Amino acid sequence: MKPFYIIYICLLFVGVSCTDVIEVDVPEAPPRLTIEASLDWEQGTSGSDQTILLSTSTPYFAEQKIAPVLGASVRVTNEDSGAEFIFEDQNNGEYTTSNFIPVIGDTYALEVIYNDERYTATETLVPVSDIVDVFQSTEGGEDKDALEVNVTFDDPADIENYYFLRFKSDGDLFPELYYIKDEFIDGNEFTIYYEKIEDEDDAIKEFQPGETVDIAFYGISKQYHDYLRLLVDQYENSGSPFSPTPVPLVGNCVNIDNPNTIAYGYFRVTEAIKTSYTIE
Amino acid sequence: MKQNEKRSGPALGCMVLCLLLGASFMYAQNNFTISGKVTDQSNGETLFGTSIFLKGTDIGAITNEYGFYSISAPRGSYTLVFSYMGFNEITKEVVLDQNMTLDVELVEFSTQLDEVEVTADEPERAVLRKPEMSVSKLNIKTVKQMPVVLGEVDIIKSLQILPGVTSNGEGSSGFHVRGGAVDQNLVLLDEAIIYNTSHLLGFFSVFNADAVKDLKLYKGGIPARFGGRVSSVLDVRQKDGNSKNFEMTGGIGAISSRLALEGPMFKDRGSFLVAGRGSYAHLFLKLAGEDNSASFYDLNLKTNYNLNKNNRLYLSGYFGRDLFDIGGSFSSSYGNASGNLRWNHIFNDRLFSNLSLIYSNYDYELNINDFEFDWVSSIQNYNIKYDLKYYFNDAFKLDFGASTIKYVFDPGQIKPTSPTSAINELQLDEKRALESAVYINAEHKLTDNLTAQYGIRFSHFNRMGGQPLNNYLDDRPLVYNSSLRIYERQDPIGETVYSKSERIETFSNFEPRVSLAYQLNGLSSVKAGYSRAAQYIHLLSNTSAVTPIDVWTPSGKYIKPQLSDQFALGYFRNFKDKEYSMEVETFYKTVDNRIDYIDGSDLIGNNTIEREVLSGESRAYGLEVLLRKNEGAFTGWVAYTLAKSEQRTPGGNAGGPGINNGDWYSTPYDRTHDISVTGAYQLNEKWSFGTNAIFQTGRPVTYPNGQYQYEGVSIASYSDRNADRLPAYYRLDVSATYRPNRKPNNRWKGEWVFGIYNVFNRKNAASISFGQNLETGANEATRTAIFGIVPSVTYNFKF
Repeated sequence: MKPFYIIYICLLFVGVSCTDVIEVDVPEAPPRLTIEASLDWEQGTSGSDQTILLSTSTPYFAEQKIAPVLGASVRVTNEDSGAEFIFEDQNNGEYTTSNFIPVIGDTYALEVIYNDERYTATETLVPVSDIVDVFQSTEGGEDKDALEVNVTFDDPADIENYYFLRFKSDGDLFPELYYIKDEFIDGNEFTIYYEKIEDEDDAIKEFQPGETVDIAFYGISKQYHDYLRLLVDQYENSGSPFSPTPVPLVGNCVNIDNPNTIAYGYFRVTEAIKTSYTIE
Repeated sequence: MKQNEKRSGPALGCMVLCLLLGASFMYAQNNFTISGKVTDQSNGETLFGTSIFLKGTDIGAITNEYGFYSISAPRGSYTLVFSYMGFNEITKEVVLDQNMTLDVELVEFSTQLDEVEVTADEPERAVLRKPEMSVSKLNIKTVKQMPVVLGEVDIIKSLQILPGVTSNGEGSSGFHVRGGAVDQNLVLLDEAIIYNTSHLLGFFSVFNADAVKDLKLYKGGIPARFGGRVSSVLDVRQKDGNSKNFEMTGGIGAISSRLALEGPMFKDRGSFLVAGRGSYAHLFLKLAGEDNSASFYDLNLKTNYNLNKNNRLYLSGYFGRDLFDIGGSFSSSYGNASGNLRWNHIFNDRLFSNLSLIYSNYDYELNINDFEFDWVSSIQNYNIKYDLKYYFNDAFKLDFGASTIKYVFDPGQIKPTSPTSAINELQLDEKRALESAVYINAEHKLTDNLTAQYGIRFSHFNRMGGQPLNNYLDDRPLVYNSSLRIYERQDPIGETVYSKSERIETFSNFEPRVSLAYQLNGLSSVKAGYSRAAQYIHLLSNTSAVTPIDVWTPSGKYIKPQLSDQFALGYFRNFKDKEYSMEVETFYKTVDNRIDYIDGSDLIGNNTIEREVLSGESRAYGLEVLLRKNEGAFTGWVAYTLAKSEQRTPGGNAGGPGINNGDWYSTPYDRTHDISVTGAYQLNEKWSFGTNAIFQTGRPVTYPNGQYQYEGVSIASYSDRNADRLPAYYRLDVSATYRPNRKPNNRWKGEWVFGIYNVFNRKNAASISFGQNLETGANEATRTAIFGIVPSVTYNFKF
């Protein structure tokens, strides 16, 4: 669930303040391997086609935001069945396979060898819950006149569930990310809304009819939820006096040969529901 | 009993010895006592800190919080001199051949400032003889002269321009004393604990200046009668109410309006004060849409009743509330409430006592209408306190007493507001605790030049049962994962249910407090002090600035009490017939068992806080210089603080290096340099002017050291905590007060206060955030500045 308190405090804070973009000298850390290994099994597909992205980090204000990693070797093993999946280097930072076999509840191990260093991670394929409804409304959300897209899902009772919900409008450059845990909503039908509130300073426009929103809903592990929570909170709020001191994000891809440099990014294995909604 | 007792043992022995020594001064002498009360002639308010001395001798005293004094001297004829800042000095001839009572009324200066002529020690200038150090006392008149943002007189902001006191930036709650955290300040309003000192998230303070008589901030050398916080004590006293005439004061400002009524009651045996203040809703938020509002109000109440010469009752109360509504989808309210019944009893001309029964409460509620639930949380305490002061003789005075506080913490509950709500009802475990203390403190004139103040406080904390508590393998709620290099929350292996009659944990601490003043000559003195203090409750806050929805938690099985040791050394000097004074102090302070928060800690709605925190330590040291001009048409001061405040948190039994690799790092309230200049100039009867200039090193922050792509967005990477700093903060404010011609017989007195806050319209960074431009995708740094130039007009009146 989103930290409502931060939203509410920030709103007040914004109410009296003014913002402007300034130049700041920031420190520069050496580049580090980033592993975006998201093996998502979309419901209704075989899940055999999977891509893992490898890149290195860049200075914060660098113009080139992505530095693809070539020549690494990438392998995923199903630790329960022993099946092995080799990901082919596409020479653009993408490593792909077309014969992955997802099994809910099985544990998978990732191995990446890059610059003679071996990175490993393990993760269990977590099932997702059913989406009951996707609809639009205006009366919900913070602004009673603005459109929002709602996703309703059923949380199963008496088990801990964690979810990742991603919205991406074709009118925007960036997605909106939500992490959800069922601690306060266990066993209930729950609706999450995505509303865009007009903000000229930040170039945010309300939803317009005709706009299409891609929606992806994932069942995730508790550990990944905790990682994502920190990632999303720091992405959205870092630097405000009402946000915690930003800290290093630690994923699960451990560098066996140099334990000081855990790779950025995460190895996740999820079941996912993907859909889209066009605003009327 | 914990190990601290062992360390304090010798100190206690020393104390007992000193007390015995003290007692030996009380040999039968042919001494008599003069005691009484000092009040303001115009309104009958008692005057705290009035200096009284016998002319031609070293014998003197200072009135206590209730205006009471007691002086003993050998038989003889004396001239008593009474002086109090801003009042005409009074002398009384007495023939002392028996114990006597002498109540005195002082008369305020007229506006003619040339008449100012004060010769005795006063509260606001350097006090040489008393060992009291690290204390800032502000008269409410001084506070009212300072220019303030939007014309709202604010005692917390006024304190922040004294050395050693800082804020965490505009728009953040509370204040920091000598590198300490907000929750380490004990804030008392008529002895009731105030848990949140701010309105509107720190833009204004909860104290209505019209209802406040005076305030005293102890930055160190905290007297033994105070306890429970390791950094400072802010003791704010409300006015008693005019006991002579009905009076109405008020003001109309840009943000709020105020009205206070006071006057005699109970056939002149008492008086009352009722003060109210309210802000205008909507004014504050310039957010789109008229659906948003933010406002606050508060009410102060005080009444007292004189039973007879030796007994007086006081009843005081405070109620303040902040209200927010964001488009109907979130609303929130929070505030303090307190009530206090006190009984002043004078046993005899040497023994003064005060019994207090105090209740205070802080609570907040968030109504999250979109998801149909309310979130509420509160802290309540009931406090009984008995304080006595015994005036043995001129050289030896004793304070002693006892207190106990019962706490009830409700860390939070969720209440669904409709049957269709998707949110389940939840009550986090309520926590209870009892904090008790006894203390004794002596003020002892050892020689003509050397005065000591020494005392000890014994505090005891009982974390009471009535709740379940998780058990963890090896008592480790957190364990370091050495391959991922993070602290991982452990699953409980069971729970123990403690009944209400059981104790979960108890702690005891001896807290010795000693200070010495050595008067070098009539103009200067050196002072040194040491104090130890224990703090049993902690404010859970992992943000740079505290927020109104942070929750207090008691010490217990997993969180230990904070313990501070502070050393201070100072040099005090008056110049030019006391027209100028200088105070220089250095301090070194350490705090043990300061909790710190693991990376990614989640504090809201969390029943297992022990899985989010580790126990660390903090230290702060610095140099403070205060140069004041006390007299004349132009008055003011220059304050400079050079300081450092850091913290370190090793892994402890969780293993691993600890938070931030176990390295020392700057606290968010570390300010290397802090300079403020304050001036007031009285041009003539009609016009006076004020100014503040403030320069501060920027707040420590954490900047990104790189970025990488994940989930289609640019993620910032960070390393060490608080290793960077915001740009320096600088601001200049001015104000002018105009008092129109007054007809002598006209009771209506009005004044206009014109102010400009931040004259140079400097965009001081309250924060710098890093993110992606939504149109270009480029990373950028965005500065948030709170107040640019803010002009204001306020009209104050008195009738």
